[in-house]
Amino acid sequence: MSGAEPSSDTLAALFEILKSFNKTGAELKPETRFSEDLNFDSLVVMEFIAVVEDAFDISVPLNILPDIASIKDLARAVERIKTEDA
Amino acid sequence: MADLLDRFAPLMAQRDALLGDSDTNPFKVKMDQVLSQTEAMIAGRRTILVGTNNYLGLTFAPEALKAAHEALEACGTGTTGSRVANGTYYGHKDLEDALSEFFGKEHAMVFSTGFLANLGILSTLMGPEDYILMDADCHASIYDGVRGSSAQIIRFRHNDAADLDKRLARLADKPGNKLIVIEGIYSMLGDKAPLAEIVAVKKKYSGVYLLSDEAHSLGVLGKYGRGLPEEVGCEDDVDFIVGTFSKSVGTVGGFCVSNHPQFDILRLVTRAYVFTASLPPSVVASATVNLGLVKNGGALRVRLMRNAQKLQMGLTALGLKVASENSPVVAVVAPDPAIAIAFWRGLIEAGVYVNLALPPATPYGYSLLRASLCAAHTEEQIDEVIAIFSEVATKIGLITPAKTKRTAVG
Repeated sequence: MSGAEPSSDTLAALFEILKSFNKTGAELKPETRFSEDLNFDSLVVMEFIAVVEDAFDISVPLNILPDIASIKDLARAVERIKTEDA
Repeated sequence: MADLLDRFAPLMAQRDALLGDSDTNPFKVKMDQVLSQTEAMIAGRRTILVGTNNYLGLTFAPEALKAAHEALEACGTGTTGSRVANGTYYGHKDLEDALSEFFGKEHAMVFSTGFLANLGILSTLMGPEDYILMDADCHASIYDGVRGSSAQIIRFRHNDAADLDKRLARLADKPGNKLIVIEGIYSMLGDKAPLAEIVAVKKKYSGVYLLSDEAHSLGVLGKYGRGLPEEVGCEDDVDFIVGTFSKSVGTVGGFCVSNHPQFDILRLVTRAYVFTASLPPSVVASATVNLGLVKNGGALRVRLMRNAQKLQMGLTALGLKVASENSPVVAVVAPDPAIAIAFWRGLIEAGVYVNLALPPATPYGYSLLRASLCAAHTEEQIDEVIAIFSEVATKIGLITPAKTKRTAVG
């Protein structure tokens, strides 16, 4: 996924949420990938996305999940959804 | 170049680690002889079946067998065609009429399986401007169905009407239609949807429709077996009911019923309806007859729930964790997949078949021994099942013998 750079606030909020999901102890950077680096399976993805939705007060459509590989991708998507909902 | 199926290597490794090379493999169960609705010969053993979803035990109903035999003789072994080409016989129309009457809905569409009904309806009903809000614990066929839809797909937390409300509120200004998708009874744990609360949320907003999959509640809930909407008394608020003939109705096939005036157009645009062969006439005939037995099956429903309560209370008394109460599904939660597999093996080797269900196919990452009851189970069978659960759970160290003994005494 490409687009504008997400804000550091959004990234920081995602890093904070990810702390409790980070079982591999991988370094959390914007480029960190959910599947390859954090070993997320489909169940963890579901639970994690639900927490992100609550934190940002948004709904993340299932349709966009295949395009979200990294934390940066998710941050961009979160910001786009927040803008659309506003 | 990598082998075609190399991407499944992690799963294959997981499977081999869990199952080893034992002959007793949950994915290779074969019924060598079907003795009745509740017993079969498996690996040379007479086995009590407690995991068939055959809730009312109608698979051997004499009336349905007779109708199926007659249809087989009259119409042959198959229709060899789609419902919209050469595959609609009088029997298919009779079954749709019977469904309309059974549910009190104007329109009914019969599909070749319940999976295809969900796949077809959910991929077709909503358009690109629309939204589908689905319970996160919905069945794989619903997930696959919505994946084929051009609508935006939003999940809400399982059985959480407040979470659904929050998500609908965010969409209130969006012009598209919204469809809420739930199930009457969720298959893995056997828990019911909070339908009254969901209907109340639905009514707060405009342009919101509700679809309920009554696969596990048809024949089980409601005085006449019409499922959760009948039990809750809100059938008019459920715009689309999807279901299957492969559980309480005792055969195979799927359907959708609705009062939407233009419902019939779906016959031309639903690919899982148009581009597949219709059900064989014998299946259709048995479904039609069994639907009548479901409607008048009050006594069967009483027996089913009595059996379910007996098993649930018996297993709980052993010290096992059972996921739901008052449900035809009695799912025992095991601490992890390895223990669940050892448990399952012990049960099958002692003559009890239940479903083994492991993550990611289960909610909350549970490892489950999933039992489903049948109205045709006898009290003696349930007693035997409880005794075998007790024996196996003790043997694998899941419960202590003292606890077993205490249960046996009191």
